[in-house]
Amino acid sequence: MLKLFEREQLDLEGLSPEQTAIEVRDLNLRFGQKHVLHDINMRIPKNRITALIGQSGCGKSTLIACFNRMNDLILNSQTSGEIVIEGRNINHKKENLSLLRSQVGMVFQRPNPFPMSIYDNVCYGLRLQGIKQRRQLDDAVERALHEAALWEEVKDRLFDSAMTLSGGQQQRLVIARALALKPSILLLDEPTSALDPLTTLFIEELMGELKKRCTIVIVTHNMQQAARVSDYTAFLHQGELVEYSDSDTLFTMPDKKQTEDYITGRYG
Amino acid sequence: MGKWSVRQFLSNRQQQSFVISLGAFCASLLLVALVCVLGLIALRGSDYFWPRPVHSLTYTDMSGAEHKVYGQVGMGKVSSQYSAGIERLWLIRYSDAAYPFGNQLILETPDIQHLAVAKEAADILLSDGTRVFAKPVSVDMPGQSAQPLTALEQARLQVDALQQDIEQIRTQYLAPIHRRLAELDIRDVDDDAPARERLSREFKEWQSKVLTLETQVAEFRLNVQFSDGLPFAIALNELDQLNYTGQLNVWGKLGVAANGVWAFLTESPKQANTAGGVFPALFGTVLMIFVMTILVTPFGVMAAIYLNEYAPDNSMTAIIRICVSNMAGVPSIVYGVFGLGFFVYMVGGQIDELFFSDRLPAPTMGTPGVFWAALTMAILTLPVVIVATEEGLRRVPDRLKAGSYALGATKLETIWHTILPIASPGIMTGVILAIARAAGEVAPLMLVGAVKFAPNLPFDGEFPYLHLDRQFMHLGVLIYDGAFHSQTDMRSASMMFASCLLLLLVVFVLNILAVILRKRLRQRYLRGY
Repeated sequence: MLKLFEREQLDLEGLSPEQTAIEVRDLNLRFGQKHVLHDINMRIPKNRITALIGQSGCGKSTLIACFNRMNDLILNSQTSGEIVIEGRNINHKKENLSLLRSQVGMVFQRPNPFPMSIYDNVCYGLRLQGIKQRRQLDDAVERALHEAALWEEVKDRLFDSAMTLSGGQQQRLVIARALALKPSILLLDEPTSALDPLTTLFIEELMGELKKRCTIVIVTHNMQQAARVSDYTAFLHQGELVEYSDSDTLFTMPDKKQTEDYITGRYG
Repeated sequence: MGKWSVRQFLSNRQQQSFVISLGAFCASLLLVALVCVLGLIALRGSDYFWPRPVHSLTYTDMSGAEHKVYGQVGMGKVSSQYSAGIERLWLIRYSDAAYPFGNQLILETPDIQHLAVAKEAADILLSDGTRVFAKPVSVDMPGQSAQPLTALEQARLQVDALQQDIEQIRTQYLAPIHRRLAELDIRDVDDDAPARERLSREFKEWQSKVLTLETQVAEFRLNVQFSDGLPFAIALNELDQLNYTGQLNVWGKLGVAANGVWAFLTESPKQANTAGGVFPALFGTVLMIFVMTILVTPFGVMAAIYLNEYAPDNSMTAIIRICVSNMAGVPSIVYGVFGLGFFVYMVGGQIDELFFSDRLPAPTMGTPGVFWAALTMAILTLPVVIVATEEGLRRVPDRLKAGSYALGATKLETIWHTILPIASPGIMTGVILAIARAAGEVAPLMLVGAVKFAPNLPFDGEFPYLHLDRQFMHLGVLIYDGAFHSQTDMRSASMMFASCLLLLLVVFVLNILAVILRKRLRQRYLRGY
């Protein structure tokens, strides 16, 4: 109960632009004929952890992928509405995707390190940006691995293949890979669903550290996880944003019947 | 009666054992066929190198006259329509005063009076590829005739030294003078100009020196005797090898065979591809395959990347894919005709007109050559590379691509840094298949550049060192040529099999190299996936 009072509550409706990391306005998304997201409006606060929950297929992974426009890779996807990050609408057709994706990092459900050395994995994004100086890369790799709490485990074998790491280490490596680019937002798409409970706990603690540096948006199936780690939670149902408030309120006194049904396990 | 079913006759267990035994039978049949092919080629091919003892033979000819010769007995039985009822026909290659450089003889068993290994006789290989079977008697040296055979080694060393002197004079003195004389000719200098006269005088001086040296060399001779006692002289500068094959034990024979293998790999063909080595053909084959690999890999990989990553998923792409697969089934001679018509005559002809018009009508690029052959082979093997590369590209997990895009990589960067490395084992598979196919093709090559005998290698010390416009020799063409050799001439027939063996070895070695490379790439990029 003590924890409940520690959390400083923000008014999600009245967030000032300085406090907002992502502002979503009237977002609609279709895959071909299928209408996946309906009129989403939400403001995601800076340096907080926001969780997206909902049944499988409700569109939460699609929503998170809108924030770095990964949906562009899917054929026939049509997006309308605005997503404002750092003062600009990223849905604009002239948006520089390379820049956007270096500002908005993403971690996927299953660890996907590249089949190269640990060092090269962390450098991948930096090298794409044209950074070649060894010292600069070394510093960035060390910093990113420290931030992802992986440095102590891999500092003696930076040039071994990343495929030799365990699942949890691989996932932290992927987080480090994203952090190397110093993103302002980190999107985590069910980052722990392929990991064991202990590793999951480790990653959750890591998230608590990381929110000092960047905004975190996490998609999760695990409601305990959402309640544990997130400051704010959004519940999506069939492509609509049903309820969005601070996690304590949402999990203890949900406004909507649908939310209550979901979090009490009546469906989903 | 119900429908006919295999269950009525065989139980489940029987069906299984039936399928297994049928499969095993087919597999073992294949294995037996492979072993037979390899065995025949290896057996007949090694005959080219394995020294046969020289026999002394006494036989009666049709008229009843008796002859004594030295010769070698061919392996195997000679079958012909006359052989019915006769125990065995003997195939013998012999030397006598009438045919010092060898002749064939087919004898029936009753005609042979006497046949025994002649330890005193030698198998003498001359530098032009012919052989003499005779008994060495003595060595002639300048001023000292009929020296004992122990002087042979020393005499050969002296001959070698003299030959080197001659070569040195030719390259260091005669050739430059000749060149300067030619320059004078071009500048239309008078015949009695002092410079020209001085040069001519020098030229004559050096030439007379060469002549004296040559007469000196000609005085070194090896005197030999045929079986019937008639003498024969062999100039020592023509002598390549001399082996008393009748005296050799297994190790000695192995040594001679090893020498033969080395000569086979490093020397040029002699006697119209019936003797000597196959180095130019080996070099041409490997060079053609390398150039082809360099040409086909980027084209095939780029095409596969387009088809797999960029092409829209519609009927047009499907049609392109079908065309690519069908290209693999086009008979290779069609590609040969295409290469000759399109590359050699059209493209090569255009290049000649645009860049080498001063040399016309003599063609420079508009004539069959190793580059056009490699290009034709590249087209021939392109479908194989495309299909295998696509297979490799399809195996790249989507989440890796997504990971790369999520770090800000563009499509091209993702392909270059992530997709291509992971697909590289697939690409190598394509290259292996392409090499295997290209090394075995002969038909198109004969139209676009491979010849039975090429005077020059496509590689030499003259700028630009690699002459891809030259015609080249190819092992496959050499074998095709060898198949028409007289099958009663044991050596030249076995040369074809030795070339076959070498071609198989080349394909095998290139494949092994590619497989090792693929394994390393797999370990590097596909571990854990």
